[in-house]
Amino acid sequence: MMDLTETQWVRYAVTHPVEGFDDMRWKKSGSLKIAFLIVGLLFFGEIADDRLFGAQFFISYERIFNVVPYIVRSIILFAVWVVGNWAVCTLLDGEGTMKNICIYSAYAIIPYVAQLYINVILSHVLIRDESVFLDIIRIAGIGWTAVLLFSAIKSVHQYSFLKTAAAILLTIAAMLIMLFLLVLMLALLQQIWIFISTVVTEIIYRIKV
Amino acid sequence: MMSKLKRYITAATAFAVLASFGISVTASAAAPSDSYNYDRWGDAIPSQAGYTAERAVTGYDLGIDAFDSPSDIFCSYDRLFYIADTGNDRIVAADESLENAVKIYDSFTMPDGSVTTLNKPSGVFISPENKNMYIADTENSRVLIADTDGNVLMEITKPDSEIYDSRKTFLPQKVTADKAGNIYIVLGNITTGAAMFSPDGSFIGFYGANRVEPTAKIIRNYFRNLFMSEEKRARRKRSVPTGITNFDIDGDFIFTCTASSSQTTDTVKKLNAAGNNIFANYEVTFGDYTPMYDTSRNKVMAPSIVDIDIADDGNINCLDHTTGRIFQYDEDCNLLFITGAIARQTGGFDQAAALESLDEDLYVVDSVKNTVTVFAETDFGKTVHKAAALYNEGRYEEALGPWYEVLKSDGNYHRAHIGIASALLRQGDYKGAMKYAKLADAGKIYNKAFEGRRREFLKANFGYILAGTAAFAVIAAASARLIRRRKKEKEAES
Repeated sequence: MMDLTETQWVRYAVTHPVEGFDDMRWKKSGSLKIAFLIVGLLFFGEIADDRLFGAQFFISYERIFNVVPYIVRSIILFAVWVVGNWAVCTLLDGEGTMKNICIYSAYAIIPYVAQLYINVILSHVLIRDESVFLDIIRIAGIGWTAVLLFSAIKSVHQYSFLKTAAAILLTIAAMLIMLFLLVLMLALLQQIWIFISTVVTEIIYRIKV
Repeated sequence: MMSKLKRYITAATAFAVLASFGISVTASAAAPSDSYNYDRWGDAIPSQAGYTAERAVTGYDLGIDAFDSPSDIFCSYDRLFYIADTGNDRIVAADESLENAVKIYDSFTMPDGSVTTLNKPSGVFISPENKNMYIADTENSRVLIADTDGNVLMEITKPDSEIYDSRKTFLPQKVTADKAGNIYIVLGNITTGAAMFSPDGSFIGFYGANRVEPTAKIIRNYFRNLFMSEEKRARRKRSVPTGITNFDIDGDFIFTCTASSSQTTDTVKKLNAAGNNIFANYEVTFGDYTPMYDTSRNKVMAPSIVDIDIADDGNINCLDHTTGRIFQYDEDCNLLFITGAIARQTGGFDQAAALESLDEDLYVVDSVKNTVTVFAETDFGKTVHKAAALYNEGRYEEALGPWYEVLKSDGNYHRAHIGIASALLRQGDYKGAMKYAKLADAGKIYNKAFEGRRREFLKANFGYILAGTAAFAVIAAASARLIRRRKKEKEAES
């Protein structure tokens, strides 16, 4: 029973929102490599969604390209989710390891990632009057991802329905705190860096003169 | 050895810097500022000049003594310029070419035969219908209506009406009259719009008040107001909009402008006879999009439009007092040109006060330099005006040639891309239209062009697409069957 390869597991988990992740956990399946691949695809999908969209829908500001917002929106957001969930659920008797949370969450965002690419391609085929198709695909992708994510958290920690909901809310709170601290730390590091560079410049100047 | 080389390099650099300075100085000698325009992102970018300053006319050039803080200029139906020479208490009429003063009005004969003089007149208007002269005689608190020989026909003073608060002063700043002879007067310290008088001089009411800008403060005050007692409410500072500063009449519409450094709504309005603003729903920022910060004066150069003028071809010229710039828009409020600066040279202003246009030329009155600066259209300006006029009439294909010419001079000219895209779309050149619409950030035009291109593509390649789909279906079915057979074999083996 259920002798699937890792790639077949991906399909199985995505297409079985209720018991997919439970079966996966029972079989101790899931590959970190595939998870990282999905997050990578999310990153490029975000860029494509913002930059390669059909000009009849919107034209992006092309004068500058800054990769940092895309990294924040994909990789950092995902990492914060994983770490936040792990941190919260360790305290709430969750059974998931960091690795499993990462794998299951990554599998769960597949519909969202797919939706990004499908919309970018469709935006070069459709016109404005048909934009409802883009909306439907977007809503379906996001909704499906939401259901999968819930199911993934539920099975990775072996929680009840209500406990999962509470855990997700707490995770979001934890994410906000982490992002806040991250920004704070970056600001602090910048200050320190400015201080050090000023001192170094001063010393170099003194030596020269 | 090393130091010698260094010296050479320093010398060469210094020379290069000096040379480039020399070039820039000679280049900027023509105009006191670099001309710019806004691109599709709303960023200021260098552009070609639409107007050049030809000359600055002083009082002496007209054969009379110098102006003293003139504050209005008006070009009449018979192509004479009337300049309100405020400080000298007179109105100067000059000929079309601004070479000679035709007449100086400093005293008028009242209907009873007595002679009256002006006191700081700051607005003048000549009606093309009844050929009468309307003068805002500010310090005398009256508006004089006289014929061009200097005989006063009517005098309008502070109205004795319930609508007009008798505690308020009556200081006419600008005056105009519509086709029916109704008189509109912009008053100092009055924020409820222009006072409107019937042709016989009776007060009708106010016309065209500005709206209060919905800032956070206003909204907060509204909620505070709900919890206040009557006494407290009565003693509060009231939020009133800035009063209108100037206006111009064009056919059935009155265009008003409001000079305020803080207000951003209703700075330019196009009012119909009922006083409704046609521009109310236009998403246009008049003046500079992002005001520049002047470090030398520690001041944000927020636009403050003091005069507005509608040219014969329907273009709207706005004079910004803060930056000394003239912003020219076409009748649909698309920015065409930005001209002028705060500068001492010809073409720059100190206190730009009034603006008028005649044919292709612009005339700007400076109340500190005491001059009238004449701006002439450049070749580039001529091409743009021609193209924009054709485009606004809906003759897109005829505008195509001029728009291409515009792009030759200024490849960043935003309106040219829109014009070309529209024309190509109408001609059925969908690919070209898509290219230019994308450059113009015109999503609507791009959408239409794309629809046409898609239809064309499908028509041309329908056979291939059908064949491709069929082939794909066949291959998919065959491979599915193959996989199923293999699976069965595997199961049979095990």
